[in-house]
This record gives sequence, C-alpha cells and structure tokens, in this order.
Amino acid sequence: MSVEGGSLRTEGLTKSFGGVLAVNGADVELRDGAINGLIGPNGSGKTTFFNIVTGMIRPDAGRVLYRDREITRHSPHRVAHTGIGRTFQLCRVFPRMSVLENMLVAVRRTRLRELLAGLRDAGEVERARHWLRRMGIEHLEEAEARDLSYGQQKLLELAAVLMAEPDLVLLDEPAGGVNPALIDRITALVRELNAEGRTFLVVEHNMDMVMGMCDHVIVFDRGAPIAEGPPSSVREDPRVLEAYLGV
Amino acid sequence: MRIASRGLPLLVAALAIAYPWLVPNYYLVYAGALTVMYAAMSTSWNLLGGFTGYVSLGHSAFFGLGAYGTGLLVVRLGVPWVVALLVSAVLVTVFAVGVGIAAVRVRGASFVIVSIALVSMMNLVVQGWRSLTGGSTGLQVPSPFPGLHRGETHMVFFYLFLALLAVALLCWWHVSRSRFGAGLRAIREDEDKAESLGVPTGAYKVAAFALSALFVALAGGLYAVWFGSLDPIFVFSILIGSYMVLMSLLGGVRHLYGPLLGALIVAPAGEYFLIALGETQIHLTATGLVLVLVVLFMPDGILARLTRRRPGPSIPDETADQRLQKVTP
Repeated sequence: MSVEGGSLRTEGLTKSFGGVLAVNGADVELRDGAINGLIGPNGSGKTTFFNIVTGMIRPDAGRVLYRDREITRHSPHRVAHTGIGRTFQLCRVFPRMSVLENMLVAVRRTRLRELLAGLRDAGEVERARHWLRRMGIEHLEEAEARDLSYGQQKLLELAAVLMAEPDLVLLDEPAGGVNPALIDRITALVRELNAEGRTFLVVEHNMDMVMGMCDHVIVFDRGAPIAEGPPSSVREDPRVLEAYLGV
Repeated sequence: MRIASRGLPLLVAALAIAYPWLVPNYYLVYAGALTVMYAAMSTSWNLLGGFTGYVSLGHSAFFGLGAYGTGLLVVRLGVPWVVALLVSAVLVTVFAVGVGIAAVRVRGASFVIVSIALVSMMNLVVQGWRSLTGGSTGLQVPSPFPGLHRGETHMVFFYLFLALLAVALLCWWHVSRSRFGAGLRAIREDEDKAESLGVPTGAYKVAAFALSALFVALAGGLYAVWFGSLDPIFVFSILIGSYMVLMSLLGGVRHLYGPLLGALIVAPAGEYFLIALGETQIHLTATGLVLVLVVLFMPDGILARLTRRRPGPSIPDETADQRLQKVTP
C-alpha cells in the first residue's frame, strides 16, 4: 500500500443546482494506492463530487485530472475507459439480465468485429467467474440479477466494476442497506483489492467502517474539503466535530 | 423441448413459403404480403425498441423516406428498381444516423415526442416539395413486373417481403447473441449504469436506430414498387409507426418472434375490420384500444406469458451469508 501523490486530483471544482451550491471550489487529491474515505454531513456534496468525477454531471467550473490527464468533461464511458470504476449509492444491476451477463457487459471492446462476436467468449467468461468466485456468488451466474438478495446485488455490482479492470474504484456507500456480516466481508474485500494495487475512494456514513478501513480520510462540508488526514487525526479535528455536531 | 423450439420455426417457415399456393384467391395472397411486410417492419422496429427500450412512434418516417427515395430514383432518374431500393435504403440509413445522434440524447416520453415530430416533419416536407415529390397528389411508380397481372405481382412481393423478414430476424438473432446486443440490453435495463461500466451508450443507440431504419426503409422501398402509388399522408402516418409498436408489444419485445407473432394477429385483424366495418375510423379506434390494453395488461407480450419462467428457488440473504463464510479471504 502506498500513500504517495494523487492519481486523481480536482482543482476548484464547482457545481450548483439552481441557487444551491453543491460543490464549492473543491481541491481534492487522492492518495495513490490507498483506501481514501470521503465523509461529511448529509448534503455536503459528496455524491455530487462523485458524479462530477465520473462524468455523470458536468461541473460549472474547475478541473478533474486523472494521472495528470484532464478528464473534466469526459462522458462516463470515457471516464470508465481511463480506469475509473464506480458503484452507486442505491445498488444498481441490470435486473433482467443474468449474473454472468451483468459481468460480461463490463468487458471493453471497440472493434466492430469484436462487438458483433458472441458474448460468451471463453476467456472472458472465465475471468467473470473468477470475480464471482471472489465475491462468493459464482453459484448464481445463471440467475437473473433481480432474483438476488440486496446484499448479493451489492457484491455483483462490485464484481462487475472489477471486471472492467479499473485502477481506481469509487464506492458510494458500500455499507448502505446491508447486514453487519456483509459489511465485514465488503471491508475485507476492499482491503484485499487494495493490497493488489487498486486505489479506492469510499463515500460512507458508517464511521466504524470508514475509520477501520481507510488510510486517508477527506471530510467535506458545504461542498469543499475542510479537513483530511489519517482517520485518527480527522476524528479529533475540531472543524470536523463542528461540521458533524455543530460544536 | 429443443426439437420443439427448433422444429416449430421450421414448420412456420415451411407454411409461410407454401402460403401463396395454399390459399384460394389472390386477395389472401395480398393480405399475406401485407402481413409479412408488417412483420418485417415490426421486427426491424424491435432492433431499437426491443433491445434499448426506446419507443419510436415515428419509424414510419423511414418507411416513407424509403418509399419515396425508391420511387423518385425510379421515376425521376430511371434507375433500375433493385438499385433504387438499395441506394434509397442506404441514404435513409445515413439520414437516420444524423437524426439518431440528435434524437437519442433524450429519453422516455421526450424521445417518443421527438420521433413523432420527425414523421410529421417528413410528411410536411414531402407534401410541400411538389415539384419533386408530386406533393399531396402523390407519386406514381411504374410496376417492375409489367408482364405479370396484379395477383401474380402480390405473390412476387409476398416472397420479397418474406426474404426481408428472414434477414431482419437473422439480424435480430445475431445482435441478441453479441456483445453489442448485451450493451443494448444493458441500456434498456439501466442506461447510466451501462455508461459507467464503459458502454458507449450514445454510439450504441445511434447504431441500433440506424440499423432499425435500414430495414424499415427497405420495406418502404418494396412497398413503393409493389403498390405503385405513394400517398404521403399514408406512408408518413403515425398509424404505421403505431402498428409497429403494437405488434412488437403484443407479441413480446424481448423475443425474436414477438413482433412476428404480433403482426400475424394485428395485420389480419386490421384487414378484417376494414372489410367488416368499411373505410371508417372505427378500425383505427380499435387499434388504439388494443394498444392501450396491451400496455396496461400485457406489457411483456404474449410470448413472455407463454414462456414465463417458473419461480426458481429463492435466494435468501441467509444463504448468501452462509456462502460468504465459506469464501477464503
């Protein structure tokens, strides 16, 4: 695990919706090879920041750089092709497609011949099974995604993101709506995947998970970072206490 | 089961080929050709609507453009009808790429409205450009088979439309098994999610839109040389687009044979009502009513009802957790 310079950097990122300033000149730099946490009170701009970085929302001002290349106004699929994967706050899978098909959609192909080739390429199917095995849901590969429990869908969503081989994975509330056993499992998985060299940015309200799992925590309030550092220092930071508790 | 699933389509194909020889008169050959034409068009529509979930009510724009393109090339430039048919279809496809780039930027009801606007615009352009198209009086296209009487011409076009249907079905089947098809289905399920996984959804939708327009334009071109008389109000009517939607929804948009089944029901029913009720608007009302009933009570279509999967073993959370405990970290 490395906590050196940032693979993802934002400069003066700003976005408003009507009169509401959701992200306000945010300068953020992730620690490369680390598990970065992004926390803050409700409405502090975390998810908007996430959506801007992944191209879902266009910013009003500012820049997003990934590995020193500007990706500010890239469409989401181009952001994905640069090596950034994401999950969603409310788990999203393709409900009427099988688990295996959910995985294979994430395989990137650009040549016409490959696009028109059969979906179930043996090599890709084996790679999909590898990720499903790691998530513990390989026995469900032919089930339709809508038949899975919510926890299983969370694991499938993460597996599909990993199928696209991202270097940076953005997880939006991975512990939301899942039971404690699964939270432990997701935490362990994130640690394993991080040990293999992937950088993570995790938005999460579960403070135990964030403080126990992350190497570096960034705290957002009113659309911009107000503090950052190791979990132990962030926890004691008076600005963070004020933002969360109003004291 | 596998024999049934392969044998039934073969049996239907054999019956379709034999149909003109089995029916007692040429009117039924004509009705058969019309039904197969609609089957080809709704299968083509389903390349967009079925895979991506984008409902176009304006696909008759491509039907009309294919018809007028073919007719004008034959009448104004004296191009052989087969060449005119192919050139016209290619031009309409190129036009559809341009329209698609703009149209698929919006989703849901907005896309439906854009598609309706497209067919209305095309209707106005063709009616307004009298010097080229003949305006509201229409365009007369000479028969490509002057030596054949009307009934024999119906028979020839029955087989031409059947060939077009076969190619459209083959295309749909091939796309459904491909990576491209999986991307299109992912768009139907959750477009933002598909995009975040790296699917270039805009390019995929435009490709599906254009491919769908290609076959509809070919059907329009065949219609032009078959009927020999083009009326802009008919070929650019929303009713034709609505028929494509209705047939696909009724049969089942997620199935290869869904639009074909829908056409086999709707097209003969339409002809029957036309004969039984005369040239009134009642058969149009009946079409609208059926469309509403299908959307309300059978949105997945007949084939989905027939092939409805039995509820499999439930996959409860407890089982997932038990499984997770077994996974070595």
